Order: sequence, then structure tokens, then C-alpha cells
Amino acid sequence: MNELLQSAWDFALELMQTPLFGLLLTLLVYQASLWFYDFCGRRAFVHPVAVSSVVIAAVLKSSGVSYATYVDANQLIYFLLGPTTVALAVPLYREFHHIRKLALPVIVTVLVGAVVASASAVGIAWLMGANEQTLLSLAPKSVTTPIAIGIANNIGALPTLTTGVVVFTGVIGVLLSPIVFYLLQLRDPRLQGIVLGLNAHGVGTARSFEVNPTTGAFATLAMGLTGTFTALTLPYLVVLF
Amino acid sequence: MLKGLIILLLFQLCGETLVRLTHTPIPGPVIGMLLLWAALFLKNGPSEDLSKTSQSMIQNLSLFFLPAGVGLFFLPASIQKYWLAVAAAMVAGTFVSMLFSGWLVKRLAGKGNPS
Repeated sequence: MNELLQSAWDFALELMQTPLFGLLLTLLVYQASLWFYDFCGRRAFVHPVAVSSVVIAAVLKSSGVSYATYVDANQLIYFLLGPTTVALAVPLYREFHHIRKLALPVIVTVLVGAVVASASAVGIAWLMGANEQTLLSLAPKSVTTPIAIGIANNIGALPTLTTGVVVFTGVIGVLLSPIVFYLLQLRDPRLQGIVLGLNAHGVGTARSFEVNPTTGAFATLAMGLTGTFTALTLPYLVVLF
Repeated sequence: MLKGLIILLLFQLCGETLVRLTHTPIPGPVIGMLLLWAALFLKNGPSEDLSKTSQSMIQNLSLFFLPAGVGLFFLPASIQKYWLAVAAAMVAGTFVSMLFSGWLVKRLAGKGNPS
């Protein structure tokens, strides 16, 4: 009997190291978080990415599975970020008639806003005594993950920190958005999309599509412009400091 | 679903190829998005299949960020001691930046009422 239990336990331990476990863990926890999110009326403070990542981190720490094993298991999910970025062309095309009317304000806001998004984070961390690598990793924080990883490699930041910071910046941006929109009395769904896409990239864009397709398209546009602009300028700005 | 996915991956491939050839710091998928966007204008809109595939993928966009987000709980010790600075930068920095960009876009776009 004891032997049987022992072999079952060994099998369970072995299973935890396989891609199947890591992938299933992500999907199950995320689905549960989505239900919880819907149950709470889609309030920003129970954002499924925030809830899921805390739960998954706790499961990994208690089961002794390393983060490297988990990331390996989730290559498939991570890969889908690429084609989904391409897919954003469709809503961008559909909502283009809205976008054209606001082209100039959007471009100016993104150019100035992208600098402020990066500088405010780096400035605060610098005041609090963070080291150079941390500061570099924070600089692309409002840029969508695939672009941010590229920038991180370019400027010598720590990619794990950058991607983590980027994703949580997205979540925090979504969490703060009701407060910001209330304080500014910003009710135009198009402008809300711009603020979410600029500051909270893909996570903010996903949230914007929940509000309505126009908000989503504006978020996509702001996200794409912020990412492109930051990717083109940050590697050169970093050299100056 | 399949045809849509093939189109998306092909455009991503074109994007990656262009990035390799031109050495831009912009990643392949973003270039792929711009190429597809231009193609949609030439073709007067997406096919039904592409439109369905895109919609279901965009619906799950948040999920694709999840594995990277978990990484924040597994940082090397040399970085962990700055967690307070990192947290402050993310929360306060994002708040300041959102207030600023919201204020700016509202000002530039004129009245903040939906049209």
C-alpha cells in the first residue's frame, strides 16, 4: 500500500515538471479568475491577470516547480502574443474613420505621453535609490511586452524584470483608470482608449475592447504608436545618461 | 479559424523578415500589424474567417501576458531589494502619467464629450 502511494506521489511530482501541468495551470487559473471577474461585475480591481498571477506564483512556490520550467511550459501561450498583435490590424481598420478625425491630438499625446510614462517611473525609482539595472528595466514599462523585451535587450536591462513590470503596469493602469477618468471627468470613449493604450498597452487594450470596439481601436492605435516611438528613441536616449 | 490563423502568421513572418532586413528596433508582429492594416485597405476589409479569428484572439489578449506577469514574483535577489522602488514607480508613475496624458488629450481634442 505504502509503495503504491509512493509511486503515485512520484508520478505527481514528475507530472508537475511537464509542459502539460504548466499550461493547464495557466488556463485553469485564468478561467477561474475570469469567472470571478464576471462575478464581481468586471471591476478593475479584480483584474484576471492580477488575480491569476498571484495564484500561479503561490502554486509554483508551494509545489517547488521553478519559474523557468513554468515559462517553458507556456511557450505556446506566449507565442500567441505575436499573431494577436497582428490581429489588432482588423479593429484598427474597422474604426479608421473615427481615428482619422482625431489623428493630430492622438499623435501629439502619444509623443509627449510616452516620454512622461517612461520618465515618471524612472524618476520615482531613482529618487528611491534603485540601481542602474532596475532603472533601465523600468524605462520601457508602458510599452507592450514584445516591444519591451526587444528594448530591454537593446539597453542592457533585465528582461524578466521588464516583462513583469510591463504586465503589472498594464494591470495597475487598468485598476487606476476609473479614478483617473473620474478625476479628469474624461467620458469620451475614444479618449479613454488612448489613455489606456498609451499607459497600459495590451492589458489596457484588452480592457478597452470590453468597453466598446471604438475604445479598443483607439487603445490599439495608442499602444502601437507608443511602442514604436519608444523603441525608436529609448535606445538612443539611454546613452545620454 | 485555420485560414485566419494562417493569414496572421504569414503577416507576422513578413514583419519578422522586414525587421531582419532593415534592422529596426520595432518587433516583427508590430510591422506585421501595419502590413495587414495596409492590406485590408487594398482589399476593402477582412474576410469573415480572418475577422472571426482576430476577434477570438483579441478577446484573450490578457491571457497571453500572464506567463510574463508571473515572472515578477521570481526575481533575482539583487533586484528584489529594490521592490519598493519598483512598486512605487509602477503605481505612482503610472498614475501621474495617466493623469497627464488624459489631461493632454482632453485639451487637444477639445470638449471631452462623446460625439
